[in-house]
Amino acid sequence: MNNGCLENRKKEHDNSQKRPKSYKFGSKSDDFALAIAKVAVAQLCESVGFQGFHLSALETLSDISVRYIYSIGKTANLSANLAGRVEGNVFDIIHGLEDLGSNLGFSGASDVDRCAVSSGVVKDITHFVGVSDFIPFAYDVPRFPVVKESTKTGSFWEKEEDPPGEHIPSWLPAFPDPETYATRLSVENETMGVSNRKKTESELERVERKMDQSLLNLQLHFAHNENKGGSSHGSGYVATESNPYLAAPLHVGEKEVSPVVLPTKLSNEVALRNPVHVDVGNHVSVLETFAPAIEAMKSGLCDSDNGKKKLLYDQRPTVRFKIGIGKKSLGTISDFGSQNEEDLLKIASWFGNDNEKDDKKRRVEKILKESVESSKE
Amino acid sequence: MNHNRQSNDGKHDDDSALSDFLASLMDYTPTIPDELVEHYLAKSGFQCPDVRLIRLVAVATQKFVAEVANDALQHCKARQAAVVKDKREKQQKDKRLILTMDDLSKSLREYGVNVKQQEYFADSPSTGMDPATRDE
Repeated sequence: MNNGCLENRKKEHDNSQKRPKSYKFGSKSDDFALAIAKVAVAQLCESVGFQGFHLSALETLSDISVRYIYSIGKTANLSANLAGRVEGNVFDIIHGLEDLGSNLGFSGASDVDRCAVSSGVVKDITHFVGVSDFIPFAYDVPRFPVVKESTKTGSFWEKEEDPPGEHIPSWLPAFPDPETYATRLSVENETMGVSNRKKTESELERVERKMDQSLLNLQLHFAHNENKGGSSHGSGYVATESNPYLAAPLHVGEKEVSPVVLPTKLSNEVALRNPVHVDVGNHVSVLETFAPAIEAMKSGLCDSDNGKKKLLYDQRPTVRFKIGIGKKSLGTISDFGSQNEEDLLKIASWFGNDNEKDDKKRRVEKILKESVESSKE
Repeated sequence: MNHNRQSNDGKHDDDSALSDFLASLMDYTPTIPDELVEHYLAKSGFQCPDVRLIRLVAVATQKFVAEVANDALQHCKARQAAVVKDKREKQQKDKRLILTMDDLSKSLREYGVNVKQQEYFADSPSTGMDPATRDE
């Protein structure tokens, strides 16, 4: 029951968020006025004799009172316009009041020739003012809505400047201060030097667009990273930048790679020093596949030496291997048993024989096995 | 002729009464603040620099709200009297007069406003419960 209520309330809240802007009495800008109306209505209810109220009832009543004001104004404005006036007067308002009170009835309503001055509505109101207690509003209300004054740039004439060209009349708005655009000009001169103005402008535009684009990309990238939770550390973006694992893989020969220093045991079996040798006849570039694994292994070794293995694993930003190992590893797993059992054992010894089911570790192992496989071939 | 003059006199009286009333509004500050009325009158398109007219609308609205609230109060009292008749032991608990949607919709119906109690919009988790056990 209660859950149902809450859900419905939530739904209502969502609906109120989706309300069109043209809706007069519920827009965001109207919240302040409605809040004031609520206070006033609550005061009136209190004066009548109520000791408490339900929020929904108070909201309804304040909303209705606000609509009451609105419809009085609307009718009064209508009758003023009908009489050919722009500004309304007291008779228009009385007319509006009579219109609104017509279904309740008032004295003299049946009289066709009645004068607005002697309307029963006004008499009722006069009576009410005489009878009712004087309750001032609880707060000081500032004038609203606050209209922000726009700072206008004066015309040439107002600024008492001479327009830069004779063809510019003095009543046009003045140009902005020269320093606001002078720097751009200097940049132009620096970058281009040549006085081909059109070209420089387009160039500048292009550069600006590029800068904007890159900024946007940066933001998108950042947002993406955060969404993915790619790195849970505070310096997430920096880590992504500086993390070599997240960079796009290089092809062989594209960059001079420092020879991988392997422990002697492993390097005896795996001839890795010559990358060309490794690459022969492989669809998956072994260097690509292997480099992160080696790196990870190396660091793992160092860690185990230092006895801070766990800590460093935690601290390192999350590594995503963008290597197409999926098919390969699936295909090769079945062969392991037959051929390279000793190799595997030896490799496994590098990772320690503890049965810690670390996902990263297993992945590195897999990659390592796979590359050993391929190099043997 | 005589009748005509009489009505003219009457009109004159009404005229002066109205202007007196409007003048008295300058001293009377309604509970509904001028700024609120001004805001909504401006929203409706009505424009008038006269503060007295804004006060007049404010007083009229105040009267309307007070009447509706008073009617709701009577409904509330009547409902409570009925409840008390049924359950005398709950008498103390129900003493407080609370403006509820129920009474409000009843009183507003007389003023041409049809408001139905929104059954699923709860003020508080206790709203859906038995009215007698509700404590506000």
